[in-house]
Amino acid sequence: MTVNFFIPRLMPGNPAESILGQFHGHINPSALKALEAAFGIGKHQNILISYFEYLRNSLTGNFGASFSQGGTPVATVIAHDLPWTLGLVGLSTILGFVFGTALGAIAAWRRGGRLDNVLPPSFIIISAFPYFWVGLLCIWFFSFTLNWLPYEGGFNQTSSPAFGDIMIHAILPAFTIVITSIGGWILTMRNNMITVVAEDYVKMARAKGLKNQRILWQYAGRNALLPNLTGFAMSLGFVISGAILVEDVFNYPGVGFLLLQAVNAEDYPLMQALFLLITVAVLIAIFCADVATAILDPRTRGGN
Amino acid sequence: MNKFKVGLATSALVLVASTMTMVGPTAVGIASAGASPSQAPLNLANEQGTLWSCAFNPFVPSSLPYSFGLTYESLDFVNALESGKVTPWLASAYAWSNMNKTLTFTIRSGVKWSDGTPFSAADVAYTFNLLKKNSALDLNAVWSVLSSVTASGDKVTMNFKSAAVPYFYYVAGQVPIVPEHIWSKIANPVTNTISNPVGTGGYVMSKCSGENIKWTANPHYWQKGDAQIKVVNMPAFLSNNTCNEYLAQGQSAWGSQFIPSIQSSYVSKKSGNTYWFPPVANVALFPNLTVPGLNDAKVRLAISEAINRSLISQNGEYGYEPAASQTGIVSPTFKSWVSASAAKGLSASANTAKAAALLAADGYKKVNGVYTKGKIKLAFTLSTNGGYSDWIASMQVVSSELSNFGIKITLQTPAANTFYSNLYAGKYQLAYNAEAGGPTPFYEMRQWLYSKNSAPIGTAAASNWERYSSASTDALLNQYGTTTSAATQKSIVAKLENVMVTQAPVIPVLEEVDWFEYNATNISGFPTASNPYAQPGLYNQPDWGYVLDALKPKA
Repeated sequence: MTVNFFIPRLMPGNPAESILGQFHGHINPSALKALEAAFGIGKHQNILISYFEYLRNSLTGNFGASFSQGGTPVATVIAHDLPWTLGLVGLSTILGFVFGTALGAIAAWRRGGRLDNVLPPSFIIISAFPYFWVGLLCIWFFSFTLNWLPYEGGFNQTSSPAFGDIMIHAILPAFTIVITSIGGWILTMRNNMITVVAEDYVKMARAKGLKNQRILWQYAGRNALLPNLTGFAMSLGFVISGAILVEDVFNYPGVGFLLLQAVNAEDYPLMQALFLLITVAVLIAIFCADVATAILDPRTRGGN
Repeated sequence: MNKFKVGLATSALVLVASTMTMVGPTAVGIASAGASPSQAPLNLANEQGTLWSCAFNPFVPSSLPYSFGLTYESLDFVNALESGKVTPWLASAYAWSNMNKTLTFTIRSGVKWSDGTPFSAADVAYTFNLLKKNSALDLNAVWSVLSSVTASGDKVTMNFKSAAVPYFYYVAGQVPIVPEHIWSKIANPVTNTISNPVGTGGYVMSKCSGENIKWTANPHYWQKGDAQIKVVNMPAFLSNNTCNEYLAQGQSAWGSQFIPSIQSSYVSKKSGNTYWFPPVANVALFPNLTVPGLNDAKVRLAISEAINRSLISQNGEYGYEPAASQTGIVSPTFKSWVSASAAKGLSASANTAKAAALLAADGYKKVNGVYTKGKIKLAFTLSTNGGYSDWIASMQVVSSELSNFGIKITLQTPAANTFYSNLYAGKYQLAYNAEAGGPTPFYEMRQWLYSKNSAPIGTAAASNWERYSSASTDALLNQYGTTTSAATQKSIVAKLENVMVTQAPVIPVLEEVDWFEYNATNISGFPTASNPYAQPGLYNQPDWGYVLDALKPKA
């Protein structure tokens, strides 16, 4: 939290200068003094006092008012943008994990098969490309060449964006996230599976004459999944920070885009709250992963 | 469409809307609600790169653009495109007295706030005293010159510390008047977002979400016959491209966009698509006058002569922004202010022979292709805001022209925050930026040249970034403030133009324009070159509200 407070303040300039610059030509230069007064910047404002105020306010859940959003409380600003990010990046991360894990399991089950020869290498190559590059390629192909999908934004500019319209805008960024993240899941799941399949209890299951499907998912898959689970939870925690690139490439409304704006406007309160959100999200995700592992794997419960 | 279908469609929409409340980020109502069936809403194409924050406090810079002009009104409307022509607004008359130190407004009667409460002179006095009490709200620093504002009957009297004629623009034209009966109950007007603004203006904000702001015409508007467009929408755009397409396809009849290759990407896309880019201020090179070499007027004049402004306009700005003049007068907007003697011999193309002669007479010689005098070598860095690609393109032309001429330029394109921070603090050598300007050329000259605007190197100066200081220029600027005579004002500006062409403290390069695209097929009354009754940009306050009041739907 301390770092969150000081890092934004190490940036050159201050929010008043930044806003004056943004409104260049459309605001009286004498507004600088008024802005500094409004944001509490100036010689008579001790940074230590602001720091302790910030600590107290953060602990009580009061993140202050955003400088760049007309003084709207930071919590309101984030609450408006968060669903966009959770919806897009959160869902596509989950989809990437589900598909990747399933495909990895199947590929390992039929190793040497056609699926195993094609899928893992091709997706691993794709996931080696930087996300923004794949994003731009998709934009070029699906939006400009085929003209199928909108290439940016989260909605059509009407007075009330419809649900279907929001979905259509989400397809391209979501697709890009899925295909770039899926490779990692396929590879790790396939490797885990191969080890697990060689285990005695799998041989036992076969010897008992269980159906292949049941062995694949209930015996081997369930155990092979465990190491991946922590990685998945971590990646969920990084949804918010990972959203910055996604939302920037597709000009998609959300907290990543918001963070970028906050940095450009030197909106300290908004930046602090977003940094905190990112940190807390990762911590919560790791905690959830630990709990899930404990439930799924009796060995980790330890004790007696 | 029969009734059953309408009912079905409406309930489907309600269903969608209510589903979205639960799952989606947006909870907005039905598109057609409130719109009369005969008249389509006017959609505005105003790209700000962000979702709306739904804050409407007219004294906060980031929310002022969405409230001042259409919800809140000022005492008078001062038109920057007609040399400050005054049209009465909330004040029906005004008069200067007491050696131009007292300004008395007669407040209009019969005006009501949008909640039905009558508007009075007390509201005006309240607004100004609110700014006095909260300096954070005083964006135009009107209390740096005011000493008191009082109301009595239908008169509001403003007393100034000294003669302050040019401040009329700020006190009458730039201060939105707010209702005392609402604002006096607000605990902290600096941090209050005013999510439900009550004003005297032609439009009432009726619904705001992050994706769209919707205004409806104020049925009780005091200007009968105005505010004829029933519904105005302002959707949020996160990027230029989407907004430009929206505008080109005719989904919006009014936009303020920079559109590359406007002929092919806008005008030819739909019949009626038109644009008009009136120049309003200068984009200029600001030489840091504390840097050796740049502190020499001859060097600055040589720079001014050595650049080809027409070429910069073509290569950097598609020719949209015309070449500026070293006099500092923006043409054609302020054409009548140009002093013939100052403008003599100036040209929009480069005159390198003249520039070379200036430097030779000053004792500079070319050493390895760079003009040098003793220890002073004419090699400078030139900074421009890294966020504006058009400015970077313009400055690339300037860099290559000056470097070829013999003044070596290293172009720097820092991020906006760094750029402004260094500019204000005077930590740069040459910088490219624009000033706010005002309704006559005087305002920009004062921002450029008034020594009290500046600050020592290292301290932020909101204007006069080049750190110019001259007692005689200050005296001229002060003298302008004491006279209401247009002839005297023009003669003072002519003397300031002379300062500009002999000392070149600032080197104007291009003229900044208002971006304005419109389609008058269904709506009449947009400002045009022959009827420039207000600045047409959607980011010009209060002008855009003034224009909105005047627009009429075609039957």
